[in-house]
Amino acid sequence: MNAIGPVEPGEGTAVPRPAGRRPGTGRDRRPTALRRRPLAAALTAALLLAAGVCLYATRPDVPSPAPPTPPAPSQLPFPAQVVDVTFVGPHAPPPGAAPQFFAFELLLSVDAGPEVTVTRVSQPYAGMSVATAPRTPFRTRAGAARTIVITLHVTECETVPENDGLPFLDVTLRNTRAIQEQSFILGPRYAHALSRALQVACSNDSG
Amino acid sequence: MNELPQQLVNGLLLGSMYGLVAIGYTMVYGIVQLINFAHGEIFMIGGFGALTVYLYVLPDGTSMWVALPLMLVGAVIAAVLVAVGAERFAYRPLRTAPRLAPLITAIGLSLALQQAVWAWYPGAKESINFPEIAGGPFEIGSVTIQTGDVFLIVAAPISMAILAYFVMKTRTGRGMQATAQDPDTAKLMGINTDRIIVVAFALGAAFAAVGAVAYGLKYGQVQFRMGFILGLKAFTAAVLGGIGNIYGAMIGGLVLGLAETMATAYIADIPGFDQLGGQSWANVWAFVLLILVLLFRPQGLLGERVADRA
Amino acid sequence: MRQRSLIAITAALAAGALTLTACGSRDSGDKGSDSGGTTVVIGVDAPLTGDLSALGLGIKNSVDLAAKTANKKNYVDGVKFEIKALDDQAQPSSGQQNASTLVADKDVLGVVGPLNSSVAESMQKVFDDAKLVQISPANTGPALTQGANWQTKKERQYKSYFRTATTDAIQGPFAAQYVFNDAKKKKVFVIDDKKTYGAGLASTFTAEFKKIGGQVVGTDHIDPDTKDFSAVATKVKNSGADVVYYGGEYPQAGPLSKQIKASGAKIPVVGGDGIYDPTFIKLAGANSAGDLATSVGAPVETLASAKQFVADYKAGGYKEEYAAYGGYSYDAAWAIIEGVKKAVEDNDGKLPDDARAKVTAAVQNVSFDGVTGKVSFDEFGDATNKQLTVYAVENGAWKAVKSGTFTG
Repeated sequence: MNAIGPVEPGEGTAVPRPAGRRPGTGRDRRPTALRRRPLAAALTAALLLAAGVCLYATRPDVPSPAPPTPPAPSQLPFPAQVVDVTFVGPHAPPPGAAPQFFAFELLLSVDAGPEVTVTRVSQPYAGMSVATAPRTPFRTRAGAARTIVITLHVTECETVPENDGLPFLDVTLRNTRAIQEQSFILGPRYAHALSRALQVACSNDSG
Repeated sequence: MNELPQQLVNGLLLGSMYGLVAIGYTMVYGIVQLINFAHGEIFMIGGFGALTVYLYVLPDGTSMWVALPLMLVGAVIAAVLVAVGAERFAYRPLRTAPRLAPLITAIGLSLALQQAVWAWYPGAKESINFPEIAGGPFEIGSVTIQTGDVFLIVAAPISMAILAYFVMKTRTGRGMQATAQDPDTAKLMGINTDRIIVVAFALGAAFAAVGAVAYGLKYGQVQFRMGFILGLKAFTAAVLGGIGNIYGAMIGGLVLGLAETMATAYIADIPGFDQLGGQSWANVWAFVLLILVLLFRPQGLLGERVADRA
Repeated sequence: MRQRSLIAITAALAAGALTLTACGSRDSGDKGSDSGGTTVVIGVDAPLTGDLSALGLGIKNSVDLAAKTANKKNYVDGVKFEIKALDDQAQPSSGQQNASTLVADKDVLGVVGPLNSSVAESMQKVFDDAKLVQISPANTGPALTQGANWQTKKERQYKSYFRTATTDAIQGPFAAQYVFNDAKKKKVFVIDDKKTYGAGLASTFTAEFKKIGGQVVGTDHIDPDTKDFSAVATKVKNSGADVVYYGGEYPQAGPLSKQIKASGAKIPVVGGDGIYDPTFIKLAGANSAGDLATSVGAPVETLASAKQFVADYKAGGYKEEYAAYGGYSYDAAWAIIEGVKKAVEDNDGKLPDDARAKVTAAVQNVSFDGVTGKVSFDEFGDATNKQLTVYAVENGAWKAVKSGTFTG
């Protein structure tokens, strides 16, 4: 409770700590002032430190706002970025074809860039094969769209799932920039059509 | 293939780590009746201490055989310094304050330490990789033991033995027992209780540091939040074994680790429990076990050894 | 004396804390004053601290880059863009608070974020009530746009919610197709973290994997707070699975992959965009080679626009990586900027009074070439550009192995 110290120095209490005393300052100051000094020093140090830390912490992320370089002039696009393949619908099979063969119409379009060549169309299952009309490779210009017909042939029903939820075609595309294999997931209508065709194809195996 | 042996080993390993950390909770509680919630962060600091030695003190490519003892030393030094500092500046001024004050201080300290490491340790905003001991896993029958786990298998029993010797045989250890029983009388008998309390904090921190090195080796990473959940688990283990009892801490840790592992492995196979199994339910089952134990043995598995003070 | 030193320390700490607080607000204090025109704030909500901060900071910086680019180009006449980034710590409760904070700031005309689907669930209604447009660069839960019954009956949930990322409805099945057909793995052990994102992804994966003939030999759910997955790893090993699918994020996926391999099961771990981060490889260690992740979008190196973004990002001097969602965040921010531009142009060069509603309506109809390709939104608020890529860990880095386009 007597933390402030005596107002008048009592005998022996007024002796300032030798280390903390500077010439000419000790005598006329009360001991409290002396003892406050470390506190003040600590506060100042803490403030300085905090200010320093905060200046450091909030220093601008961007040292010099480097100008974002203007968009590079037309770099050639990768083929998969400009080609779109969409499902149109089932294609009537040639008369007399076995149910193991069925066909779909797709629309392939090229948005921009150089001419794109389709070099291969495949699907992932071992028990099924795919052929296209026109035959691969075929080319499509930018801005053009063409209908292609894929004919699927089921050879082994066991290895082909009948209700694949997300069937896709792997299409290998080439332009002057790159060759890319892209999976085109043709969506729920294709999944539905494929699943129905597979059920027909695989219901009467005798053919 | 029977997976029971492997799951038992998994559980014992996890439990040993809980036990190493639980010792700190139980010793501090036994002597000053304080639940030191910052202990999980002391554990974390130990992990970072070991990492600091590896990353910034030792030259690159030091063999783990050389590095590991030094890292252990670094971990212990870091953890002990922080623990003793916490005792001196956060807990000692509050020793005569109501019980809740130091408890809340402990929680605050825990957050402060976490955030301090997060803010100032380079790269600690994400998990940091911990060095690994090279060499393939050891196969003993159908049980696989990782090289990183070998440290834990060796270190946990040795630590326990050292602790038991220290508490039972040395002067300071007996002083600790006396202080735990009755601090006022102990003081009258000439025991420097302030020193004893510091020793308790330091010892607890040292064991947590050993646990932290084991954690780093086992999981290959440390992160600023690693002490939070593990600290809670270790505290649970200490209560399960009987808080205040150093053997209880280790037993409680082992039981807790086994319970969690068994729950993960087998609960889902019980008919009708398939929704209540799996690792996400392991904590629930561990706490069910804790509640059951406390219902029938409120003093924990081994009970508090120190005499109950009124 | 003890009392005194305690007081001294407390005072020093308090002073320090006050100084820090003061300097924390300096940032926002001196900004608005130096521009003559209107200031529009783009809010950002993402985990800026914690385990997922690598992704969150990438989002924040990318939005910042978009705002700066728009200012530099003077893209919207008389409007200066600023960002206001709030940290949601990947917690739905924080997300909701942040949403309320952003709604309360009248200068905020659009929000980019959040990262986590579970956080988005807590924010959607707050923004919708305020007609404030929200575009997430990373949410993949299908229910956010198409309703809980999205598999049978799609229904738009909130008119103000959009996203630039592809949904799990495609991502999970695409992973299943790759694992089954290309990686030739037939027996899977499925693990998730029970969160909206992880559990959703795991279930779309599982459904497709079963449909195409795969076998699920075990499932487990993990607790994202722990790091000990040894019990689960032992279960995986004994299940005889030849692949593990994990629905969740990299802070858990990395250690999980590491511990599964350590248990002796040398099988790949497969996950979604939540594990597609360099940190995953760091955490999973050397044995992670062959682990797979699907992520939204085409590989950056095949997109000219993305290269530009990467260069600008580097030039911007940001301390953190743009991470998995940088491009999507930039596009999300740019969609808001386009929306503001439209609203301003329709109102004789001034912000309309009901700017928020006008911007929301405009965002529905935006169409521009963004970092990740063409950006526009369908009737549910989902991105119309749905590309995704399978990445594999090779030599300590993610490498694209297969890309797909959804055209349904």
